[in-house]
Amino acid sequence: MNPFILSILLLSLGLGTTLTFASSHWLLAWMGLEISTLAIIPLMSQHHHPRAVEATTKYFITQAAAAALILFASTTNAWITGQWDINFDLHFFPASMLTMALALKMGLAPVHFWLPEVLQGLDLTTGLILSTWQKLAPFILMCQIMPVNSSLITFLGVTSTLVGGWGGLNQTQLRKILAYSSIAHLGWMILVMQFNQQLALLALIIYIPMTFSTFMIFKTNSSTTVNTLAASWAKTPALTAITPMILLSLGGLPPLSGFMPKWMILQELTKQDIPLTASIAALSALLSLYFYLRVSYAMTLTISPNNLNATTPWRLQTTASTLPLAISATISAMLLPLAPATLALLSL
Amino acid sequence: MTPTHFTISSAFLLGMMGLAFHRTHLLSALLCLEAMMLALFIALSLWSLQLDATGCSTAPMLMLAFSACEASAGLALLVATARTHGTDHMQALNLLQC
Repeated sequence: MNPFILSILLLSLGLGTTLTFASSHWLLAWMGLEISTLAIIPLMSQHHHPRAVEATTKYFITQAAAAALILFASTTNAWITGQWDINFDLHFFPASMLTMALALKMGLAPVHFWLPEVLQGLDLTTGLILSTWQKLAPFILMCQIMPVNSSLITFLGVTSTLVGGWGGLNQTQLRKILAYSSIAHLGWMILVMQFNQQLALLALIIYIPMTFSTFMIFKTNSSTTVNTLAASWAKTPALTAITPMILLSLGGLPPLSGFMPKWMILQELTKQDIPLTASIAALSALLSLYFYLRVSYAMTLTISPNNLNATTPWRLQTTASTLPLAISATISAMLLPLAPATLALLSL
Repeated sequence: MTPTHFTISSAFLLGMMGLAFHRTHLLSALLCLEAMMLALFIALSLWSLQLDATGCSTAPMLMLAFSACEASAGLALLVATARTHGTDHMQALNLLQC
């Protein structure tokens, strides 16, 4: 793409999210969300491939509907309470509508149906932006409207973790697997958001490097299905050895850093006297772990002399910089010993 | 709930139902999106009457500007869909299922 247009779009994307972060008026927050939606639309459809255009159309319709619902809920709240300020508590009915609208924006179950298909139609870089950056603005708004001990939020969280686990079990396309992984992780974040917003922020901060690493690994291997990933031992043996660590960190296994948010969240849920929700969430993490394990098995434990299900690729030198991947892979695999420092940074 | 508030809310919700349950054409979904935005525009315009204050009179214009940008992006996507899929029928958008 033309570098000027690309920079305008990326900067607008940053502007939109920053605007939502900085706003205390609902209209300004809505504007920030709209700017980021409008900025990513050309990025998504830049290749003019039918799949990309279809993914862009589906994304646009859902995000526009969710943004309109956000504005409607805040207008209704203004009519009822006379307040446009985000810091003030919302009346019950607009609060539920806002929660569902933000859930639709982020891709939480039961309004997650757009996310796997949209992510499937995008190339890996745009999919990365969608999975990480686009989650920030609705997440922040969600943090600011949280009631305490609401059954709707718990329902959203538990359903998301379960749907993220079960939905990903039948997938062979890597982007759909990452979509269901995103749904599950957002479910965990929502579960704890009503009790401790800093823990939800911790979960998001740990989730972003892990997802970034997986997208970069798949990009380095230029693979979008589990079968083509099996040939990566020939292309990048070091990366083939590191990838299971990243994937198992996504699954939340100790001693990798993905365990940190899950551990803290389970501790917080137990402290709040809802051990049943904590048990269901922990068991649903097993479902997600199964498909992460399947991807890492297909990639790492099927090396030569086993038969490959994919055509052997050309072993070309990659010219792209591998520094971002190196940094994010280190963060997503080795941050657990620094857990006290990380928690102190978030003033827990 | 005042009659005004009820009217605006029902206009918005009718548009939302139309967007959620559109059956054949992508264009009708975009039209329902515009209807939702129009209901919100009316709501914001009447807000200053509600408050008997003129401080927030610019809000409907700002909202309308963003809504127009969104509508044009939607129409551009409609044209792109017509180019790649040949039609704007919703059944044609089935390339991405499992």
